Amino acid sequence: MLRLEKVSVSIEGVRVLRDVSCELIDRKATVLIGRNGAGKTTTLRAIMGLIGLDGGTIRLDDDELDRLPAHRRAHLGIGYAPEDRRLIPDLSVEENIRLPTLALKLEKAECRRRLDEVYTLLPELHVMRARPAGGVSGGQGKMVALGRALTVARTVLLLDEPFQGLAPALALNYARTLGELRKHRPELALLITESTPALLDRIADCTLQIERGEIIKPNENEGKSCSCNSSASRETEPTMSGSRSML
Amino acid sequence: MLNAIIPLLLDSLASAALIFFAAVGLTLVFSVLRVLNVAHGSLYSIGGYVAASACLFIASRQMNPYLSFVALLFSAVFVAAIFGPVVERSLVRWTYGKSEAVQILITFGLFLMLEDLQRMIFGVQSYYEDTPMRLLGTTNLSGVVYLNYQIVLIVMAVAVVVGLRFLIRHTRTGRLMTAVVADREMAQAVGIDTNRIFMLAFSLGVFLAALGGALATPTSGIAPGLGADTMVLAFAVAAIGGLGQIEGAAVASLIVGLARVLAIYVAPELDAVAPYAAMLVVLLIRPYGLFGSTSVRRV
Repeated sequence: MLRLEKVSVSIEGVRVLRDVSCELIDRKATVLIGRNGAGKTTTLRAIMGLIGLDGGTIRLDDDELDRLPAHRRAHLGIGYAPEDRRLIPDLSVEENIRLPTLALKLEKAECRRRLDEVYTLLPELHVMRARPAGGVSGGQGKMVALGRALTVARTVLLLDEPFQGLAPALALNYARTLGELRKHRPELALLITESTPALLDRIADCTLQIERGEIIKPNENEGKSCSCNSSASRETEPTMSGSRSML
Repeated sequence: MLNAIIPLLLDSLASAALIFFAAVGLTLVFSVLRVLNVAHGSLYSIGGYVAASACLFIASRQMNPYLSFVALLFSAVFVAAIFGPVVERSLVRWTYGKSEAVQILITFGLFLMLEDLQRMIFGVQSYYEDTPMRLLGTTNLSGVVYLNYQIVLIVMAVAVVVGLRFLIRHTRTGRLMTAVVADREMAQAVGIDTNRIFMLAFSLGVFLAALGGALATPTSGIAPGLGADTMVLAFAVAAIGGLGQIEGAAVASLIVGLARVLAIYVAPELDAVAPYAAMLVVLLIRPYGLFGSTSVRRV
């Protein structure tokens, strides 16, 4: 389980996250909802170690992530698809998806297996695998970024505003893919940020609200919300032991 | 007519090869680390001093003179192994992401230190050791005597271009380097140890500089001040090609090599100005260099 405790982050002297505490539970999809500038992206970047913490801790089970260099997250199986895709334009679509397997020094058979896994879930990537990543459309780029994040993800998958900038048809397609993903890869803990929660209704096991860098106490009436400071969420208790394959 | 053109072309190519060795490491380091290493020229001249010393040692012990070719290569490897990781880890890494002014001040400080280090170790006299050049002899091209060693230089430069292309396009390290060049943060997010890539790229840059110095020594000898001259020339070539562009550096070297040789044939007093005149013309037309652009970076 990934747990944030009193995480504070500043960007150029401005406090962006204030004492953010929350946890991602294995096999559950958590949706982080907030407006633009609320701190959604910063939360994900803090988890990935791409921005330093002013205070607080981030743990993945027994590993203190905030003490590890950024690139160790991928080795611990945390996959990340940023909102703006961030593909390597000089490499082909497939090379982008395979990039993590090179970085993680995986064996050939394991690379093959992970690639097949991605293509099964996102067959459209197989069709355009030879195209340079610099030449795919924004929506397609989002899919490639998802595929690349899936190659890494063994424990946690972080998706930053996956529907942002997608045409309605593509957004529906993406949402369907996420549904498939839950079935194919139930072991993953998902954290998805969104400004509009509607598309994620069917996927979300719990929702968190973030506003001006603070997590708002969840609305108990909705019944779907996670508690942010404890693991009191009753429906999650039995699966907490989590059968996680770390490879 | 042909009698005049062939030696001119060969001279240009050999001159371009030497210029390319000086510039390619600078542009490689800039593309991966985004640091303009002002001390690059010093590493070039250190390569030259080490190679000259090694060749002199071989000659003084009356060992097989062909060993001096091996010595040229090993001097470059030696200098890269000694200076690459140490300089990157101890000095250059503190400048990542800092402003250009800080980067230039720190690497300029490194340049001053390395220049004095050379004077301490090798003294202020010039070294001249041309065994590798004499061993290969000359070819008579329709009346013009041509040094075979210059062919070696051209072949080596082509080998470096092909080798770097292969490294970048077809090896694991090259892929990781491409990713780091395009997007450092994302590279880290997919598990790439960017510090390792920086150290490797810097050491490769030092190797290329030292190799350039080592290969140039048999033709021109080596003396204090060469480091600064080389740096300025390398920077001009890198700017013509577009900073960070390896193919750009190769093409720019050809242009500068041709410009210099033409100057020597036509108006010898303009020899030293020719590279900068070429730079001026290119940058007036393309301010980011022949292959450069403001947004897209390539290795």
